[in-house]
Amino acid sequence: MHIMEGFLPWQWCLVWWIAAIPCLLLGIYQLKRVLASDREALPLLGVTGGFVFILSSLKLPSVTGSCSHPTGTGLSAISFGPWITAVVCAIVLLFQSLFLAHGGLSVLGANIVSMGVVGPLMGYSVYRLLRNTSVNIYITVFLVTALADMFTYVTTSLELALAYPAETGGYISSFILFLGIFAVTQVPLAIVEGIVLALVFKYIVALKPDILIRLNIFSKEQIDSARDEIS
Amino acid sequence: MLEILTVIAIVAFCGIFLYTGSTLSGAEFVGSDAVGSELIAKISGTPVENFQPLISQWRPPSAEIESCLFALQAAVGGILVGGVFGFWLGQKKKA
Repeated sequence: MHIMEGFLPWQWCLVWWIAAIPCLLLGIYQLKRVLASDREALPLLGVTGGFVFILSSLKLPSVTGSCSHPTGTGLSAISFGPWITAVVCAIVLLFQSLFLAHGGLSVLGANIVSMGVVGPLMGYSVYRLLRNTSVNIYITVFLVTALADMFTYVTTSLELALAYPAETGGYISSFILFLGIFAVTQVPLAIVEGIVLALVFKYIVALKPDILIRLNIFSKEQIDSARDEIS
Repeated sequence: MLEILTVIAIVAFCGIFLYTGSTLSGAEFVGSDAVGSELIAKISGTPVENFQPLISQWRPPSAEIESCLFALQAAVGGILVGGVFGFWLGQKKKA
């Protein structure tokens, strides 16, 4: 999902930076508030952030014959919402910009918007939609994670289509061309990522159910019934 | 149950990789970032080499260095995840 350094005109770099900065500021503010109110949230932040680090370093082969990486943002989006997730992603993306030449400082704003804001925001919306229904919480985690992953790549495609409309067909046909590269490659990865993170969530439920209830991520009843299923 | 599903998904994923790798012609498994950059070059009619970084950046001098840094990134994540799960397990045992 990285847009490479130099591949986005400076005007668009500026636009996406302007979009990313308020999200990061809000995320930093929320992060301070969450950590000040509940010290037990820090380990959960460590786990959810840790998965962003791990999964975004795994470049996996896909059906299109090219490689791409999952984002791992779903767990963080469910636990802390999209804005704190944006801060976590910004750290990973900054590391990759500085040391790996994946992305770059000028396109960092655009990459934060796709991986850290729009993807997690879509995932978070799905979580909010499903939280108060009878849908099994592992299915919720699966859907949130897979969609956060997919929409990251859809957003990258959109960002590139806006900057590079095709000569015939304009923005739409360009968007479809970029989707063909980014989104299609991503489908199997997003499904596997969703299943793996649902399993991880099961272990969090088994080990530390009280933090999920206290942060009001899922209700006590939902966690209890999920625990019954495990045992 | 979820464990079995995860194993099936990963095995299926590997199976798909082996299948596409052996049947799909031109499957080089380069990064989709690079394929995306090629498409940008095609659409804009500017060769890939002409896209110069707006802000100059350090590049890993070889694939080995790059994989080392990627492994480092994954290791940091692994330490975080493993450490916290161990911490929670200890808390649970104590309680």
